[in-house]
Amino acid sequence: MELIVALGLIVFKVALLIAILLLLPLPLTWVERKIAGHIQQRMGPMRVGWHGLLQPVADGIKLLTKEDHIPAEADRFLFKLAPILALAPPFVVFVAIPFGETVSVLNAEITLYVSNMNVALLFVFAVIGLEVYGVIFGGWAANSKYAVLGSLRTCAQMISYEIPMGFAVIGVVMLAQSMSLLEIVRAQADVWNIVYQPIGFFVFFVAGLAEAQRIPFDLAEAEGDLGAGFHTEYSGIRFAFFMISEYVIMLLVSVLAVILFFGGWNGVLIPLPPLLWFLLKVAFFVYLFMWFRFTFPRYRYDQLMAIGWKVLLPLSMANIIITGIIFS
Amino acid sequence: MSRARNTIGTWIGWTFFADLASGLSLTFGYMFSRPVTMQYPDKEKWLPYSRYRGHHFLKRDEEGEIKCVACELCARICPCYCIEVIPYEDEKGNRRPAKFEIDTARCLFCGLCEDACPADAIALGQQYEFSSFSSRDLVIGRDDLLAKPGKAATGGGVVSARLNTKKDVLVETNERQGYNWWRNIRRR
Ligand code: SF4
Ligand code: SF4
Repeated sequence: MELIVALGLIVFKVALLIAILLLLPLPLTWVERKIAGHIQQRMGPMRVGWHGLLQPVADGIKLLTKEDHIPAEADRFLFKLAPILALAPPFVVFVAIPFGETVSVLNAEITLYVSNMNVALLFVFAVIGLEVYGVIFGGWAANSKYAVLGSLRTCAQMISYEIPMGFAVIGVVMLAQSMSLLEIVRAQADVWNIVYQPIGFFVFFVAGLAEAQRIPFDLAEAEGDLGAGFHTEYSGIRFAFFMISEYVIMLLVSVLAVILFFGGWNGVLIPLPPLLWFLLKVAFFVYLFMWFRFTFPRYRYDQLMAIGWKVLLPLSMANIIITGIIFS
Repeated sequence: MSRARNTIGTWIGWTFFADLASGLSLTFGYMFSRPVTMQYPDKEKWLPYSRYRGHHFLKRDEEGEIKCVACELCARICPCYCIEVIPYEDEKGNRRPAKFEIDTARCLFCGLCEDACPADAIALGQQYEFSSFSSRDLVIGRDDLLAKPGKAATGGGVVSARLNTKKDVLVETNERQGYNWWRNIRRR
């Protein structure tokens, strides 16, 4: 009996997580367009619903009813596989992400995470690396020069940012003496990691911008020079998959930044419910991503390489050494 | 010496991302400034200046007669040949247009007809919303031209308006004077 309840709870949590993550890009696109508009002294969407609130719904209907076009020369199997490959890993990663300790519902203690893996951090980085296959396949299968150029850029970009990103979080692991995200947050109960690890955070955040393929590192889908990069040839629902994946990754990088460096659900000064603290911090990072997007120009391809290998990698190495000397 | 100090200062600035931060603060300021968007069909509408060259109109004199003497000068000067005037003699013995048609689909709103007219009979007024689904509807005859609104008395403002699609597409407004749109422009 207990087993069934526990199993049911896990299924319920996973279903809830998937539903939230699938629906969250809708309001996020609205927020992004509003922020874009106001930064450029426009208003953003205004005509569908109150202040354009229903605009994402209209867009969703449009994407669902559009023709699902596959180019004649495309590799049809890979072309269909790519959006799914891009969409699945960000969802899988959230299994390992804790959103808080426990809440009590109807006298039962319910944990706010699906699983507490002891190698959660490793799992996150391993799975999120898979997402890039979707992008590469998508660009390759479309048999279009813009798409292939976008994919090539993604490959090069991935190699140059994944390594510094992995190194950047080692400092955090050294401080918490654990790879479990839950333990990492508990270790920050008194002082957030950002105090001890400013360099680590900087490297992580810059690499995270590249990971989420946001401006200033959105080389793979540079609208200006590549059409739309790897998803030039996609339309309709498959295009929507790529978009959802992109937003979920942005969310994921924000969540990781909060968990690893900003104390997760530990609050300061103002006593708020831990979950609220967590969501507020994540919202701040999401805003930061959007704010960056409409402020900075795009880095050139070789500049990204230079930043990744000549700046971020040495910095993250130095961070590990300094952390090792000081905290051992 | 000062050049070297400047270089060092620039480098220190770059180290702490002074350039990026100033860009971010600029966009943050813009984000909370007033948008310049004129919500045209839904909420607001632009009132043209009196010098604006909109839809033509024909004028009447004090006795309510049409001023035009059908001299056809406007038809001659028009670079698009879009005015057609056919004269006749009315009961008082004056020369008047029997037919006066402007094909606004071809007109380029240069205002030359207004300049050429010796009787001050034709002018370009304030109306700018007369799109149509058929180019035939854009050929405007004498009586319609007499009924068109004249030059704007005031103008250069944004007034609140309302989109009305019951019959045709109309943007209605009752206000005569709006706010100055330029006040929304951020200057530094
Ligand atoms: S405004 Fe110019 S183009 Fe239009 S009718 Fe007059 S002269 Fe012709
Ligand atoms: S509108 Fe003026 S220029 Fe044209 S025919 Fe009449 S009087 Fe002549």
